[in-house]
Amino acid sequence: MPSRDALSFRLNGHPVELACEPARVLLDLLREDLRLTGTKRGCDLGTCGCCAVLVDGRPTLSCLTLARLVEGRAVDTIEGITPAQGLSPVQRAFVEHGATQCGFCTPGFIVTATALLRANPSPSRAEIERAISGNLCRCTGYAKIIEAIRAAAGAD
Amino acid sequence: MHLDPFELHRPTTVEEAVGLAHDLAGRTDFVAGGTDLLPNYKMHLNVRPHLIALEDIPELRGRSLARIGAMERLADIESDAALARVYPGLADAVGEVATPLVRSSGTVGGNLLVETRCFFFNQSLFWRSSLGYCLKADGDKCHVVPQKERCYATFSGDVAPVLLVLDAEVEVAGPSGRRRIPLAALYDATGDGIRRLTLAPGELLVAVHLPEGARGRRARYKKLRVRPSYDFPELGVAVAGRWDAGRVASMHLAVGGVETYPRRFDELTAPLEGCALSDTAVRGLAEAVMRKLRPVHNTFLLPDYRRRMVEVYVRRAIAEAREGAAE
Ligand SMILES: Cc1cc2nc3c(=O)[nH]c(=O)nc-3n(C[C@H](O)[C@H](O)[C@H](O)COP(=O)(O)OP(=O)(O)OC[C@H]3O[C@@H](n4cnc5c(N)ncnc54)[C@H](O)[C@@H]3O)c2cc1C
Ligand code: SF4
Ligand code: FES
Ligand code: FES
Repeated sequence: MPSRDALSFRLNGHPVELACEPARVLLDLLREDLRLTGTKRGCDLGTCGCCAVLVDGRPTLSCLTLARLVEGRAVDTIEGITPAQGLSPVQRAFVEHGATQCGFCTPGFIVTATALLRANPSPSRAEIERAISGNLCRCTGYAKIIEAIRAAAGAD
Repeated sequence: MHLDPFELHRPTTVEEAVGLAHDLAGRTDFVAGGTDLLPNYKMHLNVRPHLIALEDIPELRGRSLARIGAMERLADIESDAALARVYPGLADAVGEVATPLVRSSGTVGGNLLVETRCFFFNQSLFWRSSLGYCLKADGDKCHVVPQKERCYATFSGDVAPVLLVLDAEVEVAGPSGRRRIPLAALYDATGDGIRRLTLAPGELLVAVHLPEGARGRRARYKKLRVRPSYDFPELGVAVAGRWDAGRVASMHLAVGGVETYPRRFDELTAPLEGCALSDTAVRGLAEAVMRKLRPVHNTFLLPDYRRRMVEVYVRRAIAEAREGAAE
């Protein structure tokens, strides 16, 4: 039997096991215990989307997810979405289209866009706008981000 | 922001969850998607030392035209084409809750039971400690209407008004068994922003049931909010109607986002049955609904504006419901 506070799940394709208090949210576990700081803490309250990760492939706000509830599940963070060499097509499109400025919101956008394109490989502009409407960016004005996602989807 | 420590329980059946909630009465909350509860906990609003996660209870899942399990995620309801075709108003409302990322975790049960909101309540501990606490958390006065010992926090769920006009029922499980009640009876019309539900402590919402009759009704939901991609409703109007040869066969109307509970206006819509709904009649109804509602100044938009928008949104919702019905 695992001890009361041991939590195990798959993180970026690899099994992990570590101690976890019930009151820990996934964002804190990732950033503070697992030192995966690619996932950002913006608002910590569900409004900004900076903390998005994939849980069993679903885009999920890690700041509002109790870490213990990912027991046995697969969690993918921006570190796991980034290939060992180079960038993913979505990441490359963000760079090429100037869709990142300060970069703080970028991991959340990449996670959301990656999930969107997996579920819907050729989304319309309206579908892209809707999909990213829970991610806030203070710098780009969104136009470049939408362009980048369209490019990653092969729309232009 | 860190959560205060709590014990986390993970029951696998409804009976086990209800038993735990009964044993821990007053010291526990259920957590579904956590998208409403955890922000409040992070702001140290009415935190409890035990949480009962509903995640592992299979009976709370499942979707059909007749039943939606309380733990069904809003994102899954939104992308369910069969539900959207039969209940377009439900699809409207679900798609307007929060953001796609929130809907990915948020559930329909959590939405029906979402905590009431107020500008003076949904604030950090620091903010609230500076002004002085209020009745709804840790304090003994109301900052909105100081002369009354009553809380005016607003019911801000988007899904309830539509389910009300579709005559949905909710299945509730408690220590003494199960009951099925009309959704309207879940909310305490004689209560306030604190005593807002009729659930006994520890009672669990199992599912929403939609009656056969709901399928022929065309419902629409119109929501007033500040930022279209984010905000809670400042007003939400749901209308469902059936028309027969240009005359109203039935009409129901409910309003959320204004008072402490989502409210149906049968007394105003019932007299319209059998009438051809002229523009004057629609305007009369919209004005009558507006006169019955008294928003207070506890959200972003001014109460007078929200009140006047009631009239506008009622007219728009009826126009759209009618268009759908004529198809
Ligand atoms: C940024 C942001 C924006 C939002 N905007 C909106 C909005 O526009 N419209 C809107 O309606 N909501 C909004 N919400 C609130 C919330 O996300 C939704 O209402 C959501 O549907 C709540 O569901 P949940 O499963 O996450 O509930 P939880 O947070 O898990 O629970 C909410 C409450 O219901 C109780 N509860 C949950 N399920 C049950 C059950 N089966 N039986 C008994 N009690 C139960 C919990 O104890 C808790 O008190 C927003 C939230 C955020 C963070
Ligand atoms: S209406 Fe009054 S009592 Fe209720 S939450 Fe707001 S300030 Fe507090
Ligand atoms: S940090 Fe999670 S949504 Fe902002
Ligand atoms: S690039 Fe700075 S917040 Fe988006």
